[in-house]
Parts: sequence; structure tokens; C-alpha cells
Amino acid sequence: MTEARKKFKRIGVTTGLISGLMYGLYTTFVLIAGYYKPLAGAVGIFAAPYVTSGLNDLFAGIWLTVYNIKTGRIREIGRSLKLFPGKIILLGSLVGGPIASGAYLMGLAMAGAYAIPISAMYILFGALFARIFLKQKIVPRVGIGMLICVVGAIVINWVRPEGSSNFTLGIICAFVAAVGWALEGVLAAYGSAMLDTDVVINIRQLLSGIVDLIVILPIVGGMGLLKGTLFSLPPIAWLIVSGLCAAISYLCWYKSNSTVGCAMGMSLNITYAFWGVLFCILFIKQPVTPTIIIGSIIIIIGAVLVSVDPFELLNKKED
Amino acid sequence: MLLPARTAVLNFLYGVESADIAQIMGALKSEYGSERQFTKDRYMDHVMSLEANGLVSLQSYDLDEKGDLRMRYSINDEGKSTVDKYVDKKYRNHK
Repeated sequence: MTEARKKFKRIGVTTGLISGLMYGLYTTFVLIAGYYKPLAGAVGIFAAPYVTSGLNDLFAGIWLTVYNIKTGRIREIGRSLKLFPGKIILLGSLVGGPIASGAYLMGLAMAGAYAIPISAMYILFGALFARIFLKQKIVPRVGIGMLICVVGAIVINWVRPEGSSNFTLGIICAFVAAVGWALEGVLAAYGSAMLDTDVVINIRQLLSGIVDLIVILPIVGGMGLLKGTLFSLPPIAWLIVSGLCAAISYLCWYKSNSTVGCAMGMSLNITYAFWGVLFCILFIKQPVTPTIIIGSIIIIIGAVLVSVDPFELLNKKED
Repeated sequence: MLLPARTAVLNFLYGVESADIAQIMGALKSEYGSERQFTKDRYMDHVMSLEANGLVSLQSYDLDEKGDLRMRYSINDEGKSTVDKYVDKKYRNHK
């Protein structure tokens, strides 16, 4: 029995770490896609991020649909949506997709890799919302972790990178993403307790992609850019790959949450902030500055402290 | 339309005192048996996730005649109130 439980825990930790790594890769690939025409040099602050966000989520949704067809679960989508919790998932998808993921990509476009660790503060807002909506108390460890996150955010913003006119707006967008993902987390936790999470994620990504491309893009005047991008191979190829990374990341994250618990699942997932910054430095020549390195490390330490008790973790290891 | 498989597992457990994976799959076979998702691994995943979400509890475990681990699960109060709230009466198999 102990062996069976240990195996499940190992799977939970491994999938949690893979989810972080894949989210870091997704972030990097989306940024790379943005370097190709017509996305590079697109006019306005909304059009390019929403074309990339919408196509990425749509491709992630298509990958997940293929996966669910292969595993015989495609009919589960309709069955899940018929229940009230499935409708809550739809609401969470709208908050987490078009609002939060859209804001995340706007943040990346305007503030570069600086937006990544800021968005990882979704754990901090998640704890705050749990305090407000679920009346959960904030224990001193969580409070200290939150303060550390805030210090990290201040460090990251201390020195503006040169030549970035919308840097502060980009950081604000990353904050919007963090708040949106935290709200999505609360709604998803509520809605997915009795549903198959592999199906829930499929719904989330498809809906997010469709709303981004069909509802938001016409409003922000990005349909021409979408058409141009669809006929340009390099950015589409990168977005198909980034969609696959996002799909694997979400599958692993939910798997991890339901195996080792949300707290540890989230703390393993936010390692994406580290991977994202590292990959951006390695692959897209993100300048290495002391503030981004120190700030990222501080935020990751704070976010882990918010979500998991290090002493408890060590004791469990000894067990 | 059928319930989502995971919900159907929870709904089934409402009507019995406890059940292991084989019994759950036996009861749901007539409705879900023809689908590719109808595997032991998937149903193990369903009950363990329902347990992680605090809707069912592990009641006992032993080894079956083949020496494989056999776990028995039962629905708890949180699980019952979830079914009462979200599952239409026509699907209920409990009184």
C-alpha cells in the first residue's frame, strides 16, 4: 500500500515539475513566434498578443482534443458542459484565457522576460482570494511568503530596461494575469472536483482560443493581422509547438494537483518563472541584469513559501 | 445523455456502502463499457482524484486473489451533498 501511495506521489512531483518546464518553453516559443513578420512590428498593443494568445490556445485545444479522442473521452466534453460545475469551468476559462493569458502575452510583449516572475505571483493572489472567498486564514508562513513576493516584484522593477517605452504597462498587464489566473484557479477548483480534468482543460483551451480569435480580435482590430499570420509559416509553426507545450503543461499541472495536492502542485508549477527567464536568456537574447536574476529568485522563494511549508516537506521526506 | 464518467463514479458510490474499482466498473459497464476510456487505470484515476478532492474516502484495502492491490472507497458527506446539488434526480441510483 505504501509503495502504491509513494508511486502516486512520485508521479505528482514529476508531473508538477514537467508542468513548470513546459510552461517556461511555451512562454519562450510564443515570444519567438512574435519575432517573425507579420507579428513583429504589428501596430497597437492588443492585436499581436491576442493573435498569438488565441492561436496558441486554439492549437493547445486541438492537441488536447486529439488526445481525448485517442483516449475515448471526446463525448465527455458535452456531458461535462451539461452540468452546473461544467458551466463554472466555462466562466473560469474566460477569466483565465482571454483576460489573464491575453494580459500575460501583452506583458511579455511590453516588458519581456520581466513579466514572467510577476505573473508567478498568481499564487499570492490565490491565497488572498482563498482568504476572502473561502474564509481561509493566512498563516504567518504564507504572509511572509507574500511579502517576499512583493519585495521580488519591487526588485524586478527597480531598473527599467533600456529602450522599453511601455515597460510599466507591461508589468501592470503581468499583474492582471496573476489576478486572473488566481480567480481561474478558484473557479476551476470549484468546478472540476467531480469532472475529468483532462476534459476540463480541453474545454478551457478551446473556449479561450475561440473567444480570443472570434470575439476579441475583431474588437481590437486584429483580424488582418490574424489572416497575415495564418499565411506565414514560421510563426504558425512556433505557435503549434507552443500550443503543444501549453497543453502538456496544463495536463501535468492538473494531474499533479490531484495527486500531491494543490499547494505542492502550484509550487512545482511556478518553477516556470525560473525556466521562462532562463530560456529567454539562452534563446532570445534577453539581457541578463542583476535585477531580473535576483528578483526572479526572490519571487520564486516567496511563491514556494506561500504554497508549501518547507519544514513539513522535509519531515515528509524523512518519513 | 450520460453523466461524465467521474461524476457517474461518485453517483454510483452514493447508492452503495462501499465498492472497489472492479465493482464500480462492473456497475457502469452497461453504459460506459463500449468506450475506449473504460479502463482500470482511468477508473483508478477517477476514484483517487475524487478522494483528493475530498468527495470519497478510502475505506479499506487488501490484496485480491491475483495479489493485486484492491482498494474500497465510500462516499462521504461532502460527496453526498455534491451529488444532491449537481446531479439531476433522474440519474440517481440511491433512494
